[in-house]
Amino acid sequence: MNEYEAKKFLKKYGINIPPGTLIRTPEEVESIDLNYPLVAKVVRDDIIHKSDVGGVILNICNEDELRNAIRKINQKFDAPALVEEMQKGGVEIIVGVLKDSTFGHAIMFGLGGIFTEVFRDVTFRVIPITDKDAELMLSEIRGKKILEGYRGIKVNREAIIDLLLSVSKLVEENPQIEGMDLNPVLAREKDCVVLDAKIIEK
Amino acid sequence: MSGNLFNFLNLSPSMFDRLINPDNVAVVGASTNPKKIGYVVLENLKNNGYKGRVYPVNPKGGEILGYKVYESMEKVPEDVDLAVITLPAELTVKIFESVARKSRFVIPIAGGFGETGEKGKKMEDEIRNIARKYGTRIIGPNTVGIYIPSTGVNTALVVRERSRFPGDGEIAFITQSGALGLLTMDSVSMYDVGFSAFINLGNRVDVNENELLEYFGEDKKSKVVIMYIESFADGREFMKVARKVSKKKPIVILKAGRTARGGKAASLHTGALGGSDAVADGAFKQCGVIRAYDEIELVDYGRALAYGRPVRGDRIAVVTSAGGVGVVTTDYIESEVRGIGMKMADLSEETKKKIKEEVVPFASVENPIDMTAQASDDDYDGVLEALNEDENVDAILVYALFQTPLISEKLVDIITRWHRKGKKPLVVGTIGSDFALEMMKRFEKNRVPVFPSIERSVKALKILRERAKILDYLKEVEE
Repeated sequence: MNEYEAKKFLKKYGINIPPGTLIRTPEEVESIDLNYPLVAKVVRDDIIHKSDVGGVILNICNEDELRNAIRKINQKFDAPALVEEMQKGGVEIIVGVLKDSTFGHAIMFGLGGIFTEVFRDVTFRVIPITDKDAELMLSEIRGKKILEGYRGIKVNREAIIDLLLSVSKLVEENPQIEGMDLNPVLAREKDCVVLDAKIIEK
Repeated sequence: MSGNLFNFLNLSPSMFDRLINPDNVAVVGASTNPKKIGYVVLENLKNNGYKGRVYPVNPKGGEILGYKVYESMEKVPEDVDLAVITLPAELTVKIFESVARKSRFVIPIAGGFGETGEKGKKMEDEIRNIARKYGTRIIGPNTVGIYIPSTGVNTALVVRERSRFPGDGEIAFITQSGALGLLTMDSVSMYDVGFSAFINLGNRVDVNENELLEYFGEDKKSKVVIMYIESFADGREFMKVARKVSKKKPIVILKAGRTARGGKAASLHTGALGGSDAVADGAFKQCGVIRAYDEIELVDYGRALAYGRPVRGDRIAVVTSAGGVGVVTTDYIESEVRGIGMKMADLSEETKKKIKEEVVPFASVENPIDMTAQASDDDYDGVLEALNEDENVDAILVYALFQTPLISEKLVDIITRWHRKGKKPLVVGTIGSDFALEMMKRFEKNRVPVFPSIERSVKALKILRERAKILDYLKEVEE
């Protein structure tokens, strides 16, 4: 499943994603109804790590830049682009799903960026989870203080808990899912928004 | 038809009653050679006071240890609750049908089955199919079998002069590894720790940990179930059973080995981060299972939970006659890093006054309460009384240190009384050599949670606190 499809899927389960649209050709740019700055990302099923191959163009500020970006992506990958409004603020978190050979589907939560890369500060639960499980996940990671309000950073814990519960429900109802990365997700004062999504099916 | 009926009867968890407390036992492969398991099992049955009927089976016939030997299973005069097969793998398969048709439970001891490869796996299929036909249940193969102190059933092969089997108790022990299980039991026998049952799953061709966990969950004698598991027969089923059991009694698990993960999802971040056994860790939290990380913790936590009460808050009062012990304990209780991240209780003014004025004017009345080497048995009694009335205290850690002149063996009785009658959950620490060990045994006999070091005492408190949280969690997610 490519990012565009993955996000449509998430949206069906009430998960917050940035306003965006799929654009196939530079000509389609005129008809879009999005607020700049924008980001354009290649959409092709076989490209999982888009930024590694130069498939992500950030900070697009006007229609000309957008047209160029689409043209570039078309030429380089022979594929359309997902164009979205750039998102600001908040703390990066990661939410994921894997299928464990012993316990089946499990959901993961952690702080994003360096916290996952270096400290592997993540925690798992077997799906389905209850809201109590989600709450405990937030309070058992080592970087939990950041989620409790730290140096002016404020996050909406309820929004994170809702996101975890929605992902749990989505996987429960779609057991063909083998894995999922929502990374990063921005946890903000008012909401949570999924910036990138990868879903792998059987 | 009769096979089917047997099968039906053999599906309820209470069927294991006949394994734990069999009316009769056949030992197939009985031997006159004291070095052979076919002899040792008979010897164990005899020496452990097994009261049921024993039927050694060996084509040579004759008599072993005073038991009449039957030439074949066919010749055994009745069906048996338990048959132990002490023959090598291939012979086991060969005679399996003759045994299965007359037995409720069969324990094939031999290795050389599935653990050795494809041929062994086929032999496992063969005995499993035969057992199904007769409604017989298999423990093993590749197992040391079972040891039930209360009924004297013991199929384990160890050298008696160099190891001990524990006595009767309230801890049920299910283990995937026979050797680790036996070593653990031998080592804790030093403190006279008792067990209600020991079962080695072995290659688990039939009976698995989930059925046994369910059984011991219902078993009135077992107050706690401890498990050593390398891989789960069925993870989801385990969670279901464990959640049900842990509402009633605690489960402690020593889980070794890492979980293999599916190929496709490994390209994702989540797949890579799922390494080690992070998923198992989450699963245990969801079904109320407490984790131990080595064999010492496994039994320590089991004892703490079997004898102690859940601790409902974080505030701990510490009583000691050695100041240094109190200081180190304080560090262990309060530190998040090498410690349990709980709190030293702020004693109420009333408690402090009581201790200072009525009990031990020479002692420090701040927590940890250092009664100094001048403390007597009665002083401990008074301090424990005061602490049991203090609203600011959630649990008490009392050190019973027998090295000073005014402390006597009576202290064991005093602490035992407070453990049984007091309002607060209590853990005892004792430090020392031979005499301390003797006192530990007395505490153990009284079912007081006692531990031989500062760290182990403090960790027991943590586990009792965790148990209270688990009970709250299970209640909350149920609603």
